[in-house]
Amino acid sequence: MIVGASGWLDVLGGVGLLAGSLLILIAAVGVVRFDDVYSRIHAAAKAPTLAVLLVGGGAGLTIRTTQAVVAALLVVVLQMIAGPVGGHLLGRSVYRRLRPELDGPDELAAED
Amino acid sequence: MIASALVALSFVVLSLAATLFLVRLLMGPSVPDRVVAADGLLITVSCGVLVAAADRAVSVAIDTVVVVALLGFIATGVVARYVEQRGG
Repeated sequence: MIVGASGWLDVLGGVGLLAGSLLILIAAVGVVRFDDVYSRIHAAAKAPTLAVLLVGGGAGLTIRTTQAVVAALLVVVLQMIAGPVGGHLLGRSVYRRLRPELDGPDELAAED
Repeated sequence: MIASALVALSFVVLSLAATLFLVRLLMGPSVPDRVVAADGLLITVSCGVLVAAADRAVSVAIDTVVVVALLGFIATGVVARYVEQRGG
């Protein structure tokens, strides 16, 4: 089987798409199975950021036009800003307002 | 050939993930749980749009994902403020 350079880029992009989708699945399993709110926010904030990086990179590698690559890059950058900041916002308001039971010492107790 | 098999497989994986997020969205005891699940569902759908765009070489669809990512971030921030002021 003869595969040119563009064929290899297609395969690489496809592997990126699949790896990103698997990371999303891992995040979903974490969100369903973890026991408290903080763990669920943790599962939903970290893995999808890398997943969007992989899927966006895969889409850019597969389509290979300037418009697609720039848009995919924008998606990745936005997600890398929005994911951690959104998770932090949510976790902070849960800590301040809902006060769920912790399974360890409250290291932020002196803050407010 | 290989690439289209990978695309089909990632659609299957994304559907499984969306089902799991939906389970947490329906179960989730508190508001933040549901918000986390809804956010994950939104990311799953955006990744699905990205995979479909890569499959059919439609670069316009990626612009949609940019808008959806921004809206999702704003929604998470708004609900975080709601939880902080009114409780969940």
